[in-house]
Amino acid sequence: MAGRAAEALRAWGAAGPEEGRGMPVPAVCLAPALLVMAVFALALGALLRYSLFEFIPGSLRTGGITARNFRQLAAPQYLRAIWDTILLSLATTILTLLASYPVAYALARGRRGGLRSLLLVLTLAPFFTGAIVRTYAWILVLGNSGFLNTLLVRAGLRETPYQMLFTPQGVLVGLVHFSMPVMVLILGAGISHIDPTVERAAASLGANPIRTFLRVTLPLSLPGVISACVVVFAWTFSAFPTPELLGGGRVKMIANVVKDLALDSFNWPGGAAFAALALGTTFALVAGFARLIQRLQPAGHR
Amino acid sequence: MSPGWSLGRRAGHLAVAGLVAFMTLPTLVVVAASFNASAILSFPPAGYSLRWYANALTYPQFQRAALNSLLVTTAAAVLALPLGTAAVLALERGRIPARGLWAAALLSPLLIPGVVSGLGLLILGAGLGILQSRWILIFAHVVMIVPFVIRSLWVSVANLDPDLERAAASLGAGPWRVFCRVTLPLLRPGVFAALLFAVIISLNEFVVSLFISTRVTEILPVAMFTYVVNYTDPTIAALSALFIAGTFASITLADRLLDMGSVFQIARAGGGTEV
Amino acid sequence: MIAQRRSIPMLAAALLLAALGPRAWAAEPLVVSTWGGNWKDTIERVVAKPFTQKTGIPVEFEVGGTLDRLAKARVAKGQPLVDITLTTSHVGRLYISDGLFQKLDMAKLPNARALHKEALRSDAHIGVWAYVYTIVYRTDQVKDEIARWADLWEAKYARKIGMPDFDPSHIITVSALLEGGNERDWQKGQERLKRLKPNIAAFFSTDAQSQDLMKTGEAPIQVMLSVNGFHLQEQGLPVKLVTPKDVGGIVGIDTMAVMTGTKKAEAAYQFINLALSQEIQEQLVQGLKAGPFHTKATVPAKLRGQPGIFTTPQEWKERGYIMDDEVRARTLPAWKEWFNATIVAK
Repeated sequence: MAGRAAEALRAWGAAGPEEGRGMPVPAVCLAPALLVMAVFALALGALLRYSLFEFIPGSLRTGGITARNFRQLAAPQYLRAIWDTILLSLATTILTLLASYPVAYALARGRRGGLRSLLLVLTLAPFFTGAIVRTYAWILVLGNSGFLNTLLVRAGLRETPYQMLFTPQGVLVGLVHFSMPVMVLILGAGISHIDPTVERAAASLGANPIRTFLRVTLPLSLPGVISACVVVFAWTFSAFPTPELLGGGRVKMIANVVKDLALDSFNWPGGAAFAALALGTTFALVAGFARLIQRLQPAGHR
Repeated sequence: MSPGWSLGRRAGHLAVAGLVAFMTLPTLVVVAASFNASAILSFPPAGYSLRWYANALTYPQFQRAALNSLLVTTAAAVLALPLGTAAVLALERGRIPARGLWAAALLSPLLIPGVVSGLGLLILGAGLGILQSRWILIFAHVVMIVPFVIRSLWVSVANLDPDLERAAASLGAGPWRVFCRVTLPLLRPGVFAALLFAVIISLNEFVVSLFISTRVTEILPVAMFTYVVNYTDPTIAALSALFIAGTFASITLADRLLDMGSVFQIARAGGGTEV
Repeated sequence: MIAQRRSIPMLAAALLLAALGPRAWAAEPLVVSTWGGNWKDTIERVVAKPFTQKTGIPVEFEVGGTLDRLAKARVAKGQPLVDITLTTSHVGRLYISDGLFQKLDMAKLPNARALHKEALRSDAHIGVWAYVYTIVYRTDQVKDEIARWADLWEAKYARKIGMPDFDPSHIITVSALLEGGNERDWQKGQERLKRLKPNIAAFFSTDAQSQDLMKTGEAPIQVMLSVNGFHLQEQGLPVKLVTPKDVGGIVGIDTMAVMTGTKKAEAAYQFINLALSQEIQEQLVQGLKAGPFHTKATVPAKLRGQPGIFTTPQEWKERGYIMDDEVRARTLPAWKEWFNATIVAK
């Protein structure tokens, strides 16, 4: 095979400058990666299969085919978790967008290289310190004897600590903080590709900053905004460490229910049903978004 | 430019400063708490001590978990990098039908919720009887890393100048030689970015690993989670501070060497497409 | 280039070694299933360390909540992942009815002969220490003295009380006892317990959460395990543990048992026997501030008479209420269901 490849390579090397592609690569190089993904797909298949079979308490074996795992989704405490997940994901997406846009703008348009690097590092660093570190840090900030409450009580603004931990609001703050780096990066990439001369043209025509933003920058950055929002929503929908640690058992999202069922009660079929729900929702979101993008962009327009 | 702009600019700077403060506040609080002398937290700390650092570094379960993290991350990176590089080259250069489909399949772990992957791998692992070994963890990490490797390398591969390879080939170099001496060195920035991503993603991977770890194989984030759930002292604050210091150092280093902005495709202001 | 070629087999070898794990070169450890935090630390220090010194066998711990560990054990039945389980006496019955504990060979536990008879919970699990669930409160945040269970119902304690949501047996039994019932006809206390709802600030699912709620002051009065209360005192928190005058504290007994199918039964028996020896029992008392079962274990003067630390059978009867294990194990699911639906739910 090496002989044939070498021949092909020499032929390609001798070809004229019209040949645009790089050195040909045998298709078999794709195989190892695809093999890994195939095994991973097997795992997902195993999960979906389990969701359709009956749970036998105290055992990992399953009974016969049943729809009970999915019917269980409608139980009050689980419906509550699903609803909370939807609400929290929506709220997180909106708040993260509001918080990230200015930072993304500064990152994309910032002129001083040193400051821009600093901003990038500060944005990325939380992203790279891992979920446990970041969530634990919020426990320290939001707790009743944590940083914020100590400040509030000392400043005399409150007599007793304000309960932030183990509440949906506390979880929301953690989720926004968690999502900001991702949204800043996606938005930043989008904004940076907007030609600044368009903004300058608007300014020179007399538009104030707000007008320029609303009429020029925002619309041009819309694809990036939508993309970022879909990513953050989908990601938050399946969030686990933040509600697990900041929710303290009182605020549960879908991922926490999966963990409770699968790892605490060993109800793998039940957990699998919820996992299937999370997976289905994510795929629906992404597929819907892809279709939206296709519709919004007339052919050839970038 | 009208005066509205300088006011707008001022307001913008203030907003950004506030938001950056929001992003960094938890980090500062954690570092402050890690030096707290007593197990009961207070701000400002009632006394200062390094005992939690000592505790974090000598806690046997953390030591074992750190070793596990090192092993799993190294193995996963060593496996995922060649795998991902080969895949990108094949997709970009090979004559493969339905390229978009394969690319989507390889990038799909990014979309799949952690609990889904975790439970699926747990069920598969239980079925295959491999839950007690580290290989299932390594496999899971490879699956998580490959999409990042592919994304990091794609742009670099697409931007390779074919003339350089062609020149080597026309001079009689065999395909493997062209790859090793010409293509790979040209891909170096992309590979480095891919490696950086791989290591960071793997070291911090928590959700999937939570499902498939055992007491013996658990990696550091899982061990930290178990600790937070069982103890109420600031040991995790100390460990977190160490993590944060390490992360800051490596990100700053990477930015110096790599220009992280281009890695994330944030074009420089003032025009130019130096991506 | 040459260096690269050599390093690849070395890397492969390293990976293979890694996958095999430390099992390849260390002795098989004895695995003990127990609660985490302070509990694991104390057992490690007081029992596991001397055990390893004597026998050379390392000890490792599998930590988790009471019922979580039961779920895990059920799933691993026949091929246990742990060798010894520490669990509460009544949950031990659930293990037994699932065939998860082996019948104890008392010949291998000579130290068991010197225990109070309350220690012999069944032929498969044996008591190792005792405590009470009682009222624990912060003296710096609650100015009045709380002396009886009935005091908890007073209006001035609105939104101040914390209690466990994983095991409501204690408060349900107390409510029943205050209404002339007991754990068997617990329905007598239902209305009374409903009246307590406005006073409840929070529920905790773990020991760590309970201690956090106390430390932050979110729930400065709690139905808490005496050992955890003492642990907070050690950490410098100003809390007081009450021996309520109307009904004593609800006694809890933690037991040890050997798992069915374990391959390290010999080592397991040695471990348990060590934990039941007089010297270790005395150290457990000092370390946990729990009550010993060894008849000759001396309790230091400052601990004598403290909640949960009983030294004579009389003390047990007078100052604590011992629930029937069988009834407790049997009724727990019903209690949990009613409690979650009526008291925990908003």
